[in-house]
Amino acid sequence: MGGLLPPAERRSSVLVGAYAALSLLLLITGERLPQAALRGVGAWIFGPFDRVVLAVDRASAAWRENQRLHQRVAELELENVRLRDEGVENQRLRQQLELQTRRGVSLKPVEVLALSGEAVPSAATLGAGRDQGVHEGDVVITHEGLVGRIGESYPSLSRVVLLTDPNAAVACEVESVGVMGIVRYVTTPYPRIVLTGVALGDSVRVGQRVLTSGLSRRYPRSLPVGRIVRLGVDPSGLSQDIEVEPLARLSHLRHAFVIPAPDSLRERP
Amino acid sequence: MKTVLALLSLMLVALLLRSTALSVLAARGLPLDVLAFVTVVWALSRGEAWGTSFGFILGLMADLDAGHWLGRHALILALLGYALGRISHSLVRDSVRTQVVLLFIATLVHEAWVLSFELSGAASWPWLIGRVLLAATVTAPAGTLVLLVARWGSGQPLFGHAQLQSG
Repeated sequence: MGGLLPPAERRSSVLVGAYAALSLLLLITGERLPQAALRGVGAWIFGPFDRVVLAVDRASAAWRENQRLHQRVAELELENVRLRDEGVENQRLRQQLELQTRRGVSLKPVEVLALSGEAVPSAATLGAGRDQGVHEGDVVITHEGLVGRIGESYPSLSRVVLLTDPNAAVACEVESVGVMGIVRYVTTPYPRIVLTGVALGDSVRVGQRVLTSGLSRRYPRSLPVGRIVRLGVDPSGLSQDIEVEPLARLSHLRHAFVIPAPDSLRERP
Repeated sequence: MKTVLALLSLMLVALLLRSTALSVLAARGLPLDVLAFVTVVWALSRGEAWGTSFGFILGLMADLDAGHWLGRHALILALLGYALGRISHSLVRDSVRTQVVLLFIATLVHEAWVLSFELSGAASWPWLIGRVLLAATVTAPAGTLVLLVARWGSGQPLFGHAQLQSG
C-alpha cells in the first residue's frame, strides 16, 4: 500500500486529526452548546438564497395550482354555506347541553423556505418570524393537516419542529371513536409516525383519521393529523402498535399556516 | 482567495440544493447525497488537505442545519475528504469508472454513518441497508453524469492526471 500512495502531507495529517478530534468532541458535548443562535445565523444567511432557488419552482407550480384552486374555491364556498348553517345549529345545541364553546382559530399564511433532516425532513424553515408575529410554540398546519409547531423564532425567519422530529409529541384521538393516544415519531423497526398508548382493548380501524384531542392546550382540538395505515401489537404486548400516515405532505411543504398559541402559553425567553 | 471563494460557492450550492430540491426528491424515494458528491469532487481536485477542510466545514454546516448530533456529518466528511484526497494522487481522476466507484463508496460510507444515528435496535438494520444502498446506487451515476456534463461544458479534463512516480 505504501508503494501505491505517495507519502501524506504532514499538514493534512495534522488537519484530519484535529478535525476528527473536534468532531468527536462536538458529538459528545454538542447538545449542551447554544445551537439555536448558530442556526439563527445560518437561517439568516441561507434565507434569501432559499427564496431565490424556490422562486422559479414556485412560479411554475403557482400557474398550475391557480387553476385547481379556482375550482376548489367554488366548491368550498358552497360547502361553507352549508357548514355555517350547521355551525349555528351546533352552537345552539352545545349551549343547550351546557358544553364549552370551541375557540376559533386565526390562520397566518407563511412560506416554507427549506426542509432539513435525514432520512425524512424533521424541520422546516419558514419565511416569517417574530417581526411577522410568528413565535415559539405556535402551531403550523397546511390545508391537509398538522405539520408541527414553531421551535425557534428569529426576526424574519422561524424553524418548525415537524411531526417527524424525534422530540415531537402530540396528544391525539381517533376520529369518531374518541380513542386517545400520543402521536410521535419512532425509528424502530423503521422510521414512521405512530399513535402510542392505545390499549389493546380499544377498537380502531385502518383508514380512520387521527385528530388533535385538545388535551394539549397548545394544539387546538380537531386538527387533522393523520390516517391509520397499519395496526399491530406493541412489542411490550401491553398496547397497540398503530402506524399513522401524516395527512400533511411533510416532504412537499411550500405554503403553510401558523395558528398563534394562546397568550397564556407564549414561551418567554 | 480564488480557492476559498470556489469552496464557499460550492458549499452554498450544495447546502441550498440539499434543503430544497433534493430533500423533495429524497422524500419521493430518490436520495441523492450531494454532500458526499461535492466532498468527492473537491478532494479529487484539491487533494487531502483541502478535501479534509472542505468536508469538515461542509459537514459542520449540515449538522447545524439538522439540529441534532453536532459533529456527525463533520467527522465522516472530513475523513472522506482526507481519504479521497490521499488516493486521488494515484488515480486517473477523469475516468468515468473511477468516479462511479469513488462516488458509490463515499455515499455508502457517508449515508451508513449518518443514518445509523437515526436508528435504534437491530430491527432497523434492513431499512438502513436498503436506504444506504439506494442512495449510493442513485448518487454514483447521477454524480458521474454531472461531472461528464461539466467536463463536456468546460472542454477539458476536470481534474488532470494522476502523479506518476518512479520506483
